Amino acid sequence: MEPLTPQTATAATLPGVDEARIYDRGYRRYDGDRTGIAGAQRSLVRHSLRHALGLGRATRYKVIPVLVVLMAYVPATVFVGAAALIPINTEDFLPNYAEYYGFVAATIYLLAGFVSPELLCSDRRTGLLGVYLAAPLTRPTYLIGKAIAVLLLLLLVTLGPPLLMLIAFSLQNMGPDGFVEWIEVFGQIIVSSLVLGVMYTALSLAVAATTDRITVATATTMALIPGSGIITDIMTTEAGIDPNVRLANLLFLPRALIFRIHDVSGGWSSVENPTWTLWLAWAAWTLGSIAWVWYRYRRLLVRR
Amino acid sequence: MTGQERLVTGPSTLVAASGVQKSYGDVPVLQQVDFEIAPGITGLLGSNGTGKTTLLGMILGLHPIDGGTLLVYGQDPWHAGTEVRMLTGYAPEHHTLPPELRADEFVRHVAELHGLPGEEATTRASDALWLVGLGEERFRPMGTMSTGQRQRVKLAQAIVHDPHLILLDEPTDGLDPVQRDSMLDLIKHISTDFGINVLLSSHLLDEVERICDGVVIIGEGRTLASGSLDELRGSGDTGVTIELDAAPEAVASLGDTFARLGYSAQVSGRRVMVEGDDDSVFDIARDVCAEADLGILRLGRRRLSLEDVFLERLG
Repeated sequence: MEPLTPQTATAATLPGVDEARIYDRGYRRYDGDRTGIAGAQRSLVRHSLRHALGLGRATRYKVIPVLVVLMAYVPATVFVGAAALIPINTEDFLPNYAEYYGFVAATIYLLAGFVSPELLCSDRRTGLLGVYLAAPLTRPTYLIGKAIAVLLLLLLVTLGPPLLMLIAFSLQNMGPDGFVEWIEVFGQIIVSSLVLGVMYTALSLAVAATTDRITVATATTMALIPGSGIITDIMTTEAGIDPNVRLANLLFLPRALIFRIHDVSGGWSSVENPTWTLWLAWAAWTLGSIAWVWYRYRRLLVRR
Repeated sequence: MTGQERLVTGPSTLVAASGVQKSYGDVPVLQQVDFEIAPGITGLLGSNGTGKTTLLGMILGLHPIDGGTLLVYGQDPWHAGTEVRMLTGYAPEHHTLPPELRADEFVRHVAELHGLPGEEATTRASDALWLVGLGEERFRPMGTMSTGQRQRVKLAQAIVHDPHLILLDEPTDGLDPVQRDSMLDLIKHISTDFGINVLLSSHLLDEVERICDGVVIIGEGRTLASGSLDELRGSGDTGVTIELDAAPEAVASLGDTFARLGYSAQVSGRRVMVEGDDDSVFDIARDVCAEADLGILRLGRRRLSLEDVFLERLG
């Protein structure tokens, strides 16, 4: 066989040549399929998730969201580890699924406080909102995409840890008895995480829709949720005002509902407010926040 | 037939406006705007604050019109906004773009927003950035880019999804003369070589005159003129322009000579524009120059500049 030199090399003699392809490079017309609004919204959600988690951005943007998410999993990991390592009946000292949120409440509203302003305020400040609305997205489809992104991020901390506990306990034979009970607990976890996630998504978006300043929106969200708890607690316990004032306690309201969903006695479920009033207040806060976001965006003059 | 097919195969008039009105509160912005935009490059001219950006917003279906009719690809953009925007690219006027976002990511994201599947969006983002001259710079965060580069990124994101029409709002704003020329050449290249129609909003007459096929001039809330550039300039086709091989001082006296012969003439440097309704003005011009012993570099039919048209229509 003739030795391979630049002069003798041909397509047939070069190794692996049948896989070689020449790609035509350069801008050209496009007549392929288009994914429509659904594709635009998927892209918006994906881009928002990456932005909020600091992916593709400098390290400083990743620190807070990643730390907050990890913090939410620490208690769950400790409880699962304890259950595996300590040879006693762990049910006596481990928190149940409803109580778990008490350990991670701060991380939930911390994340809501960081994520929503980062996604809404920065779009308005950088002019990206104008680009989005000049694309096939409309204001409602844009806001829905943003809300989905915030909710998905909040589900990382509201749904992930209890689900991790359920799966780990089940693998250790410490989970619910039987398939039906397992599905029931699974359903309770899903609904609970949505109760928390949806309400805090709506609230944090409402704050973020009110100001263009990211830090102001973040601080307001983080102050609003525990602040409402402190004020209403003082009003009900110290001043003896009607217990329904507790329905304005943004820390208490979703967690009291979660205790009712899991049918757990004690703790937050022992308050005298009927369950329907809790659901009503939850819906009022959520829908009120959504209405405020829409009101703000409907009349927003977009810079172009 | 899908909506997109219907739009693409629509009438040759891309945008048609008839009696369009728009107010913000009690402040009227557009009062009587009528025009038709044909394929090619069309300039949307008007001073700052005359409602050009508002008009672009209405073409994209982002603001409702208060009166009249506006059709884009034969559709009402306020009701078919999503379909219209799927086939339209838009480069906004402002330069603020997400500073930490890389140019390729931004352009890819815009491609996906216009319905391109992920892999295709990635490839086309790269191709569009190469086309606008940012191939080597495409991985840079936009916050580190110059104004000229950002203008090119905006152009790339406007064309990445292969639109039928792109709306460019002041695309040369903030550019130095060299960058400006280069940007105008690029826009011309995109339109002629790729068949993408362009609506170029500008307040600079010369850049519109340089690359546009048609023009819409807006002023005082109404259309001052619209049509092809040749038509508009041709409407002032009365007389001749003479360019002379002589010092401006020698040329200056020709104005009086033409006036004595009953012709109105304007002298500007070494150029003289003589008004006259028939072809005899060519002979008169030749004879006057010969008598004054001035060499003629060019003698041709007088053509109005866009500035002449603009000033004439403004009254």
